[in-house]
Amino acid sequence: MNEPILEVENLTVQFKKKTKLFQSAGDEDKWKRVLDSISFSIKQGETFGIVGETGSGKTTLARTLVGIYRPKEYRIKLNGKQIDFRKREDILLLRKNIGIVFQDPVGSLNPRVTVSEIISEGLPDQQRLTDEQLGKKIKEASELVELPESKLEAYPTELSGGEKQRVSLARTLIGGKKILVLDEPTSSLDVSIQAQILNLLIGLKNELSISYIFITHDLNVIKFMCDRVAVLYYGQILEQGNTHEIFERPRHPYTADLIGANLSFTSSSEFSVAHESGEPSREGCIYQNSCGKRYTACEKSPPIFDLGKSLVKCWLYDYAEKSRAGSPREK
Amino acid sequence: MSAPTSHRDNLGTNLLEVRDLTVNFETVDRIVEVLKDVSIRVGREEVVGVVGESGSGKSTLAQTVIGVLDTPPARITKGTVGFEGKEILQRSDKKINFRGKGINMIFQEPLTSLNPVYSVHDQMEEAVNIGEPKMEKKEKETVIRKSLREVMIRDVEGVLNVYPHQLSGGMRQRVSIAMVLVQKPKLLILDEPTTGLDLIVQRKIISLILNLKKEILSSILLITHDLEVAAYMCDRVYVMYAGRVVESGNMKEVLQRPLHPYTTMLKNSVPEGYAKEGSLKVSSGAPPDLRHLPSGCAFHPRCQSAKDECRSKIPELKAKKDGREVACWLYE
Ligand SMILES: Nc1ncnc2c1ncn2[C@@H]1O[C@H](COP(=O)(O)OP(=O)(O)OP(=O)(O)O)[C@@H](O)[C@H]1O
Ligand SMILES: Nc1ncnc2c1ncn2[C@@H]1O[C@H](COP(=O)(O)OP(=O)(O)OP(=O)(O)O)[C@@H](O)[C@H]1O
Ligand code: SF4
Ligand code: SF4
Ligand SMILES: [Mg+2]
Ligand SMILES: [Mg+2]
Repeated sequence: MNEPILEVENLTVQFKKKTKLFQSAGDEDKWKRVLDSISFSIKQGETFGIVGETGSGKTTLARTLVGIYRPKEYRIKLNGKQIDFRKREDILLLRKNIGIVFQDPVGSLNPRVTVSEIISEGLPDQQRLTDEQLGKKIKEASELVELPESKLEAYPTELSGGEKQRVSLARTLIGGKKILVLDEPTSSLDVSIQAQILNLLIGLKNELSISYIFITHDLNVIKFMCDRVAVLYYGQILEQGNTHEIFERPRHPYTADLIGANLSFTSSSEFSVAHESGEPSREGCIYQNSCGKRYTACEKSPPIFDLGKSLVKCWLYDYAEKSRAGSPREK
Repeated sequence: MSAPTSHRDNLGTNLLEVRDLTVNFETVDRIVEVLKDVSIRVGREEVVGVVGESGSGKSTLAQTVIGVLDTPPARITKGTVGFEGKEILQRSDKKINFRGKGINMIFQEPLTSLNPVYSVHDQMEEAVNIGEPKMEKKEKETVIRKSLREVMIRDVEGVLNVYPHQLSGGMRQRVSIAMVLVQKPKLLILDEPTTGLDLIVQRKIISLILNLKKEILSSILLITHDLEVAAYMCDRVYVMYAGRVVESGNMKEVLQRPLHPYTTMLKNSVPEGYAKEGSLKVSSGAPPDLRHLPSGCAFHPRCQSAKDECRSKIPELKAKKDGREVACWLYE
């Protein structure tokens, strides 16, 4: 029961840079590494959060997991089965099991078809169903997401932002997907609508025991929703672990800076603007140009240290046991 | 921080006094009332927030005050806007932009306040010219550099020579703050000044704004949908729903003891802490479409305390004790 349903090891995704016509680029200059050797795993019924700022690679990760991008390096196991991105049946297996909900509810729904048709897109084998069976499934899915039946024949433009996200969710749920990648599912919504969707997600998870990969830049949402969290910075996971541990005892200087900058109703402290944020470093520790704790060791890239409740990629924890690269231990 | 002053007693001391402002957006086939009888005031050195969800009229209010509202399609049908005791509301087509005349504004998207075809230096110079047209060239250059350093820009000369699109979002927002700074406004209006910026940058900009506010002793009117940002920055707050102010008061007190059911819901919507057993206390439904406002109190379809009269009669904003105001039949 507590076996991970998804294991990701050393996932590296890179995109070809657009090189200017007369510029001769070296081999490593031709590629932009957007995800750099990231590893994590998820158990059934778990909500795993990925927090990161703009451009850190969150959406790229989401799209890779549903087979839209082919990674350069990886070892991905779904329910114990090794996935080979060159095989069509493996990609289909990914898509059958992993659903995705995008941030932008406008762009992700086809404006020309009705809500019920959009929801049925989530069924891979809908041709095999009778109209009656299909109708029943659509109705069940829309009830799960608390979408009024009256909206089923509407078009996306007639829906509010929150309703559109409910439709996106219904589309992933109708196919019985076990893992949902939620890429900023509430970032474009008003806070009261966000609250409704968060409540819905919590309820669905308890009811269906699905797992979420919850991607957001909002620390308060991550803290509220997730069992475990990974902190992504320009393609690298700098820290991951139990949510409570990460928020109460952030170990990585970047995590500490993020949490220190976050505002909640109880924040009152002055914020120190002493150190400037710099560009990510291409050599050694990626955070060194912004880190207030940098020292000589940081010229080399730090390995991942295992602190028990969290894994940290920072030389400050040199005394701790090195985690075997790419295999984050379950606590 | 200044103590909240009571509405009636200190009319003369308010820097900004908006009264009964009503604004419509008028198109050929319909008239939509976007602001209805909105009254707000900002005291000297006060930081005042206007919070509410999208479409509640926050930006329209800010744009009306500073005189950049497009009329048409908008039409101001009622109200007054007093700044330092003088009426500044303009209903005619000939609008005076109040930037540089004591009021200044920073927009959500800094590119709105920055001109893409001029270098940072030239725009800064223009900003200085508005405030101090007679200043000598050499002194202008000093002022420009000083204000860029004050917004924590390290490579001042580098930034001066580039165009806005060559800067990151955080840098652009710093430049637009620096531009405002040289004009030393008495009232600074911020419309979602940090929305869309990365967290660490956002927090730096907020600290920067609060520090500068202390230095030049200006007042701030902060427009935001982010209750946590408002809670951190503001002395007082106005809560808007569907074009009306539904509650106002001291920021901390409003959060601790919201009076209006909408304010309560807004507060409960914000995920705070770790998910406990239950869920966020929020009712169903969404902010109304202004074209089809519910009768009576616009919040009634989502309100758990709604009674019969809520469905037929619109509650007015009424003063309560401790400088609080609320528009809700529960408090009649
Ligand atoms: N298809 C692509 N081709 C080339 N570069 C890409 C592609 N997709 C993303 N990138 C680049 O990869 C980096 C990470 O982008 P990604 O969209 O994954 O970030 P994100 O964390 O989702 O950011 P945001 O918070 O803004 O959504 C960015 O620098 C982006 O420009
Ligand atoms: N140019 C316009 N023509 C017609 N209607 C408009 C125009 N500008 C704004 N509106 C309408 O006025 C209402 C209030 O808009 P406003 O931008 O003031 O809201 P807001 O509270 O600032 O929202 P947000 O949080 O989304 O910025 C909205 O319903 C909007 O659709
Ligand atoms: S490895 Fe060094 S530079 Fe990097 S985060 Fe740790 S202390 Fe800072
Ligand atoms: S007036 Fe009535 S419906 Fe409106 S907020 Fe008050 S109790 Fe609720
Ligand atoms: Mg993204
Ligand atoms: Mg606005």
